[in-house]
Amino acid sequence: MTSTDEELVARSIRGDADSFNELVLRWQRPIYALAYRTIGREEDARDVCQETFLRAFRALPGFRGQAKFSSWLYRIALNLCRDWMRRQRRTPVVQAPEDVDLMELAAAAEPSESIEDLVARKDLTRIVEGAMARLPEEQRTAIVLKEYHGLTFQEIAELVGCPLSTVKTRLYQGLTVLRRELGHDGKRP
Amino acid sequence: MTDTCGYDGDRDEAVIGYVYDDGDAVERASFEAHLAGCARCRDEVGGLTGVRRQLAAWEPEVLAAGRPAALGARPQAWWREIPAWAQVAAALLFLGVSAGIANLDVRYDRNGLSVRTGWTGRAESVAAAPEAGPAQTAPVPWRADLTALEQQLRTEMRTTHASAAAPAADRQTAQRTASSGDADTLRRVRALVDESERRQQRELALRVAEVLRDVSSQRQADLVKIDRSLGAVQNNLGVEVMKQRQSLNLLYRASQRQ
Repeated sequence: MTSTDEELVARSIRGDADSFNELVLRWQRPIYALAYRTIGREEDARDVCQETFLRAFRALPGFRGQAKFSSWLYRIALNLCRDWMRRQRRTPVVQAPEDVDLMELAAAAEPSESIEDLVARKDLTRIVEGAMARLPEEQRTAIVLKEYHGLTFQEIAELVGCPLSTVKTRLYQGLTVLRRELGHDGKRP
Repeated sequence: MTDTCGYDGDRDEAVIGYVYDDGDAVERASFEAHLAGCARCRDEVGGLTGVRRQLAAWEPEVLAAGRPAALGARPQAWWREIPAWAQVAAALLFLGVSAGIANLDVRYDRNGLSVRTGWTGRAESVAAAPEAGPAQTAPVPWRADLTALEQQLRTEMRTTHASAAAPAADRQTAQRTASSGDADTLRRVRALVDESERRQQRELALRVAEVLRDVSSQRQADLVKIDRSLGAVQNNLGVEVMKQRQSLNLLYRASQRQ
C-alpha cells in the first residue's frame, strides 16, 4: 500500500532515510517542473530542485504539519526561484533554440507525427516559453502553479503569501498578456 | 473590444473564476447570464480559454524527457551493487550445488539427449547401464558427509544434555566443555561444507566432461552410420543404373536386328 506524504514525513522525522527518498521520488518531478517553468534554465532548475530537497531534509524536524507537505515544498522551491532571479537581476531566459534543426526534429518525432506537425509543436513551445519568460515573476508563478500544478486559488494565495483576490488578478493580467502575445486577441494573426 | 461591460461586481475575478471553473454554482449561473448579453466578456472568456489550451500544450523538452538526471535514480537493490564477476561466480556455484543436489544425469545416446534428476532416476540409470564409468556408479559424495554430520550433531547434543543434567558444582566445567565443543563442531561443519562444495564442483566438472565425451562419441557413431548408409544407397543406385543401361542396350540391339 502506498504511504501518504504525512506518513512518510513522520517516518523521515524518526530517521527513516528510505521514507525521505520516497518523498523525493514522489515530488522531484513536480518541483523540477515548477523550477524550470519559473526560471527557464535547465541546469539552474536542477540546482533549485536539489536545493529544495536539501533544505526540506534539514528543516524536516521543524515541520509540524501546519500545511500540506507539498505546499511546504513548493514554498521552499518558490523562495529559491525568487532568490535565483534576484541574484541574476534579469528576466529569465528560456533556452529555446534559435534555429530549428530538421534532422534533430525528425529523430525526435513521434511515429504518428509528421514533420510539419512537429515543427508546429516546437514553434508553439518556443512561442509560449518566450511569452512566459517575459511575464512578471508574480504573474508567471501564479500561472505555473495554477496551470501545471493544479493548485487552487486559495492554495496559491497561501503559498505566495497574498490575498485570494490578488492571485486572481495576477492570473487575469498574466493570461491577458499571454493572449496578446499568442495572438488570441484578434489583433495579431 | 470597444463594447462596454455592465457587470455588477469584480469583472476580472469573475472572468478568471469562470475560465478556471472556480466558484459556486450561483456565481457561475449569474456570470453565465451576464455572458449571454455581453460580447466583450464572451470574447475575453473565449480568448483566455484559448490561451489555456496553448499553455496546456506547452511541454518543454527537458520535462518531457523524464526524471531530472541530477537527482539520480531510485536506489538500486543491494545485489545490483555486487560486481558482475562475483554474480557469475555465485551463479556457477549455485548451479554446481543444485546439480549435485538434484542428482543431475545428462545422457546422449541412441535414444537422443536425456536429462534426469532425482534419486529414483539415478538408481534406474545405474541399473540400466552397468557398463557406466566409475564416476557414474560412485555413491553420492555428500550423502556420507551428511550422515557423518548428523551423527556428530547427535553426539554433541547428547553431550550437551548430559552436561545440563550434571550437578550444579560441575555445571561451569560442563559449560566450558560444551562451548569448546560447539566451536569445534562449528569448525568441523565448516570444513565438511567446504569439502562438500569442492566435491560437488569436481562432480559437476566430471559430469560435464562425460556429457561432452558422450556427445562426441555418439556424433562419430552417427557420422559413420550415415556414411555407410550413403555408401549403400550409392551402390544400389549404381546397380540400378547398370541394369537400366543393360536393358537399353538389349532394346537397341533388338531394334537393330529388325
